[in-house]
This record gives sequence, structure tokens and C-alpha cells, in this order.
Amino acid sequence: MDGVPETVTAALADRQVEGQVCLEAGAGVGNTTAGLLAAGAKRVYAVTNDADHAATVRERVGDGNADRLVVIEADLRATPLGTGSVDLVTAHGLCNVLPPADLDAVAAELARVAKPGGRLVVDDYAVPPTDGAVNRLFALENAAARVVDGRPALTFYPVAVLAAVFADHGWTVEHRKTLLDPVPWTEAHLDAHADVVRGYADELPDVIGEPLAAIAADLVSAIGSERTGTMYSLAFRLVDV
Amino acid sequence: METRALGDTGQESTVLTFGSIALNWLEQAGANQLVELVLDHGVNHFDVAPTYGDAELKLGPKLRQYREEVFLGCKTQEREYEGAARKIDRSLNRLGIDTIDLYQIHGLEYEEELDTITADGGALDAIREAKDDGKIDHIGLTSHGDPELILDAIDRIDDLETVMFPLNPVVAGKDGDEYDYEAVLERCEAEGIGTLGIKAFAKGSWPPTDELAEADRPYANWYEPVDTPEGIRERFDFAAAQGLDTVVSPGDPKLVAMVLDAASRSEGMDEARQRALIEEARHDDSPVPEQLHH
Repeated sequence: MDGVPETVTAALADRQVEGQVCLEAGAGVGNTTAGLLAAGAKRVYAVTNDADHAATVRERVGDGNADRLVVIEADLRATPLGTGSVDLVTAHGLCNVLPPADLDAVAAELARVAKPGGRLVVDDYAVPPTDGAVNRLFALENAAARVVDGRPALTFYPVAVLAAVFADHGWTVEHRKTLLDPVPWTEAHLDAHADVVRGYADELPDVIGEPLAAIAADLVSAIGSERTGTMYSLAFRLVDV
Repeated sequence: METRALGDTGQESTVLTFGSIALNWLEQAGANQLVELVLDHGVNHFDVAPTYGDAELKLGPKLRQYREEVFLGCKTQEREYEGAARKIDRSLNRLGIDTIDLYQIHGLEYEEELDTITADGGALDAIREAKDDGKIDHIGLTSHGDPELILDAIDRIDDLETVMFPLNPVVAGKDGDEYDYEAVLERCEAEGIGTLGIKAFAKGSWPPTDELAEADRPYANWYEPVDTPEGIRERFDFAAAQGLDTVVSPGDPKLVAMVLDAASRSEGMDEARQRALIEEARHDDSPVPEQLHH
């Protein structure tokens, strides 16, 4: 399977995937879906609320996996999946794009669809160090999102906070692992974040949107690339509450 | 400097091997100094080849002076008996020594070459004969382009004791069988075959010659190398953390002192940092649409 990141491989390394019914919550471009299929998952539900991402996942891993891959466009707070139907849930880089108000509902929904004793892997970024230059781009992205949507685009949750939110829904931490230290924010990643800013800028009057987009472009070129912060992986097991 | 068992050869090699091609670019006095510097850092494994210009000749004086302290690897690109036999004697003459510790079939690229080498009248016959005559001690192989071919060679050459192949974060981050040197490392570990890593310090290809003429390149390497102390330390630590027995130093003498320092001070590299380097390199040439996270 092409392009399964090391972060995904490392996060799944000690999880039972072969023969399991899996859910990638927030499929993005399907990195974890690709990893789960490569590791022998019986079925993978790739759930995303983004039609472009859904199409990308189908295109990327759909060939030859028609009997194992189900791409679903749905809100993660209320998926069409049956209660107690999934062995392994993954949320790779998902939580940082969930506003705090949605996080609890997503944790509850993932607990609903998981089988008793089911497993969950949550991979995300620790709060970046305050001296990280990338923070300036992330702050701009959040400011633009607040103006347009009234909510932040990015929220970095400390590991203890995520563990506590999921614990409220029966998820018990089995272990924690550091996936990346430092996190390499490459030019490509920064460009992707600048694209998000440009997306918001397009929805604003030119007088605000154009300078916003220009600031994003300036930040990307000023930062270039940066190594900062860490990415962690939390492995949970669902217990009765 | 840390030493590691070179497979089951009985040799304990330093985790850095001196790529003696670096001597080719120096006058004899400078070559002597570089060898002294390398030995001062405790390096006990040298690698050379007859195709590296004058490297054998320039290594000779200091090699003879310190012969007992150096485990010497040499190579041949000959594929048939006559050529290989001739090259072994030529290298012994140019180096001015009686025995080469490790003699490697160099730069294996095609399955047909392996057929020729292993057939009656192939290079292996000459190498085994030289071993019987005490001219060489161990048999190895180098290949720059195809992990599967290395695995085939391990299957077909029972007395193969070491293999040399490229390993760096760019290679480690690529998918597909043509980059699967991890399989080679696993196989070598299982069979007691020694492993030597090359291209650990490669940053990328040189720009096309119409943009940068070969004569205008600032380094002698076949690739553009990393060239900062931090970058070199990172690349060395990464390569040494992959399970290689030893990492070969880059071919440009200007880089050797930095690499010696990195190898002397190495304290290993944890997995999260190894992954960070792979992820960083992967995004340089990603086949996957870009997204926000790693």
C-alpha cells in the first residue's frame, strides 16, 4: 500500500488489526485506512464529513479493496454505524481539527459504535512550544476560522486532556507512545495550512480576505519549515462505565 | 567509538567505516594525515576499491604502517574468473599487503550478473580460490539499487558474509520492494551476515548538469551530501540506529572530520526522532495528496 506514514505504522504496530472491523474516524486522505487495509483489516469504515476527502480515499485505496472498504460521508458525532459494531477505531490527527465543543460528542459516538472491549487509537499533537514559529500560522488560521465560522480551526489538546475526555465515555488508556519528536512541519504542511487560511479568506470581503491570504503566504515563506513539538499516540480499551 | 560484530565474521568493526575513496582527492601527505585522523578516532574498518582513482595507492603507506589495526574491505566489479583473479592481485600489489580482510563483489545491479558471478568460471571461483590461498579472509557483496537482488544473492552464495547497501531517511521512507532494505537487514540479522550502510549522508541528487556542471560541484560525492555538523550527526545516528553493523563515511574528504566527530559522540537515536526524519523526507517527494497533518 503506497504512502502509509511511519506515524500510522508505529501507532498500529502493537494493535490487533488483522481480521478486525475498523473505523478510521476523520479519514482525511486515507493514511490510516491504507495502513489498516495493509495490515489485514477485515473491513474498514473510512468516515469523513468532507466530500473531497471521501473521493480521495476511494481513489487512493478503493482499487482491489471493494469488499473491505466502505467510505462514508457523515458527521462523526452521529455516524450511521451500528452500536457495538467496530473492533478498532482510529483517530489519527483528528482531534486537533475538532472544536472543543464537538470533542465530547465524538468521543461518545466512538464509544457507541465500538464493541465492548473494543480498542481505540488516538494520535495527535501535543501543544506546540510557545516559541515555535508555526504557532503564528496556526494563530492566523484560528483567527480566520473564528471570523468566518465562529469557532477555531485547530485546537491542540494536551495528552492528559484527551485521555480525560475519552475516559468519560469508558475509554481506558492502555499505553502512550511518542510518534514524532520533533514534528517536522515541512513546507508542504505549512502550505496546506495556508490553503485553509485562503479558504476562509475567500469567504470574506476582499478588503479583509486579501490581506489575510497575503499574511499567510508571508508566514509560510518566512517560516520555510520547522521542527517543533511532539506527536503522541494514545491506545485505549473500552470498558463498561 | 562503539564497535559492533560484523555479522558472524568474528570481526568487531567500529560503527563507522572509513570510505577510503576520500583519499583519492588528496595528495599523499594529506592522505596520510587523514588516515591518522581516522585512526585517532579509533576507526578500525576501512573500505576501498580499485575503481576509486588512486585511493588504494594513497592508502598503502599508512595501511602498511598500521596493518594490524585495520580490517580492510576491498571490491571488484569484475564478474568473471580471469578479471576477478587479476583484480585481487592488482589490489594486493597497489595496497602493498598480503591479505585483504573482506573482498566484496561490487555494485551488483542485474540478475544476469549474479548468474555470471556464480557460474563455473565466474568471479566467485576466483574469490574462493584467493580465500583458499590466504589472499582474502571473508566474502562480501555491495549493491546500490535492488534489495531483492541482494536477497537473491544471499540465497545463492552460501559463503557470503557481508552485504553493503544504501540506507538513509529518504530511502527508509519510500514504499515498494525496490526500497525494502529493511527486509535485507532482517535477513542478514537472521543469517549472521554483516551489514554496511552507504549513502547515509546523501541529501539528494545533484542538480542537472545544465544547471550545475559536474566540474562546479562543491563536493566529490556522487550525490549532494548533507554538510552541516548537525545534519551529519543526525544522518549518522539515524543510519546507526537502523541495525546496520557499520556506516561507511562519505567520499569527500572535507566531510570526514565532521563524520568522525559525529560517530565518536553518537548516543543513538530514539524511534520518535527516526520517524520524524523519515516523515520529513517523505513529504519532499510524496505520492499522496498533501494534508494538514503527518
